[in-house]
Amino acid sequence: MKLAVVDWLFIGWYLALSIAIGLYYSKRAGKSISEYFLSGRSLPWWLLGTSMVATSFSSDTPLAVTGIVVKDGIAGNWLWWNFMLGGALTVLFFAHLWRRAGVVTEVEFIAIRYSGRPARFLRGFKALYLGVPVSCITFGWVTLAMVKIIRTVFGTSGLTALAICLGLTVFYTTLSGLWGVVATDMLLFGVAMAGSIILSVVSVEKAGGIGALVDAVKAAGAANGKDYLSVIPPLGQALPLAFFVALFVQWWAVYYPGAEPGGGGWSAQRMLAAKDPRHAVKGTLWFTVANYVIRPWPWILTALAAIVVFPGLTGAAPGETEAAYPRMIAFVPKGLAGIIIASLFAAFMSTIESIVNLSGSFLLNDLYRPFIRKDASEKHYVAVSRVLVLVIAVLGAAFSYVLGSVKMGWQLVMELSAGIGLVLLLRWYWWRVNAWSEIAALGASAGTAIVLKLVPDNPVVRGLGRALERAGFAVDAWGVGILLIVAVTTVAWVAATFLTKPDDEAKLLAFYRKVRPGGAWGPIAKLNGRSYKLQAAPFAGWALAVVMIFFLLFGLGKIIFMDWGRGAAYLAAGGLAAFGLSRIIARMDWEG
Amino acid sequence: MALGFWGVGLPLGAFGLLFSETTAQRLTVLALAAVFLAVGALIGRAKR
Repeated sequence: MKLAVVDWLFIGWYLALSIAIGLYYSKRAGKSISEYFLSGRSLPWWLLGTSMVATSFSSDTPLAVTGIVVKDGIAGNWLWWNFMLGGALTVLFFAHLWRRAGVVTEVEFIAIRYSGRPARFLRGFKALYLGVPVSCITFGWVTLAMVKIIRTVFGTSGLTALAICLGLTVFYTTLSGLWGVVATDMLLFGVAMAGSIILSVVSVEKAGGIGALVDAVKAAGAANGKDYLSVIPPLGQALPLAFFVALFVQWWAVYYPGAEPGGGGWSAQRMLAAKDPRHAVKGTLWFTVANYVIRPWPWILTALAAIVVFPGLTGAAPGETEAAYPRMIAFVPKGLAGIIIASLFAAFMSTIESIVNLSGSFLLNDLYRPFIRKDASEKHYVAVSRVLVLVIAVLGAAFSYVLGSVKMGWQLVMELSAGIGLVLLLRWYWWRVNAWSEIAALGASAGTAIVLKLVPDNPVVRGLGRALERAGFAVDAWGVGILLIVAVTTVAWVAATFLTKPDDEAKLLAFYRKVRPGGAWGPIAKLNGRSYKLQAAPFAGWALAVVMIFFLLFGLGKIIFMDWGRGAAYLAAGGLAAFGLSRIIARMDWEG
Repeated sequence: MALGFWGVGLPLGAFGLLFSETTAQRLTVLALAAVFLAVGALIGRAKR
């Protein structure tokens, strides 16, 4: 595909605007570490929530959703929709606690919650692990995906444009810190969504309009024995284990970047950067709604249109099904194609800038400052942060260049931390969890994942698989693996918790007074002389948030497919839940 | 930030008018351009 001059003009203009916004904040970001990594803790809810959703909207996300829809229909999205349950949990139970904790990074939490040598080891280890390998693999994966998109659309001729885009993004991110990241994220998310919406309209037109699209997809489904339009997986015979695991286990057990149980990574960074706990809660709620309700439908429509436009796509290899998304760009008219390409660049840039800023925060705040140079000036730390951000960007780019496919490495990183979610949730609400609990969880999760990689077909896996089959599940290796990792990890960290001493009382008391979490803090609450109770309202709020997201998501789908009656009913139910939730959020004392 | 939204919204609207091939495309792009301009206005007002 060859872009017209007007398309390049739009792309160039959009890039110039993004960079100008980023650079505008460079002076402010240079004042201190708090400004550079947390925007001076002054972000309003709409800015931090949009920044979260922009970051999780990467250039390869629409491709992944296209692959899912072509393979399993709309219902296949439950593989990631399940994270809405965890997202709602973070809104009601954790966002305000993060802000009250007042730390600079997710990893620094360890320093205020746990005591002694294990805590110091855990902080240094996690800073290094999340700051270098995880960040570089994420950076490499996102960049590699963007290279594939550019190759699909332009051949090799677009790679120079991509290199320029990457270089400029790293340049303004290095200078402007989180200020530049969140400010540009607003625009990048807007452009990314605009591009995906325009592409979906062009795709539906190419498939003959929405009515013809629905008929053609139904016919393709009948030919393949599938219902591509159903939002619920086929439950007639055996319940697919993957669906069960996704719905009942994955969202609280698996540490998935952007959907960490209880918040973490870039989402925790933005909660920590909020003006106050209430803004953290509202921003996280906006992220959850935008992420699950607003984003997916344009991608789903484009994917369904691709099934119609490219006959035989449903039987193609995964790489080919995912490439259907950029292939649809060929049908976009001159002048609008530049907007679509700019939207892919926007999705790419918003993720890259957040990754490098976040990894810089881990390496500076949790490795360099506590372990290498303790008492330097803020100016010194900002200068070192900028160097670290640049180094991570160079390492990440090298990763994407050296590795042909980062997918295996990325999956391994995911599997290594597949069982640690529960300890990350309970460390806020149970005083007895200590640094050993987290170390045991990390070790057990990684150990079990490695064993399963090396010996996938072993007696334990076979036994568990047979037991699950007898219980009525359609078993798959991934589901069995996750269940096994979670079981082993949970036994290991609970055992480690009871076999080791509790943390220092002074440390626990200071944490309890500062964060005021409620829950199982009996002895510490007694020491404090005042007990903070876990109220019923957040539980009701969580249920309402899930109901709201579910009905708004599917109501929007019904409206798009012109099922007006059910669409209106779903949206009304979602609106009612939203009203109830807003009352709860308004009445709760988030300051504690 | 507000200037950024107006800076994208205005050319988006112009491109929609000039290059759309169907009414649906034109309406979609113009609606998106309007959203950009409205968000820009809201951000500008919030800043003041």
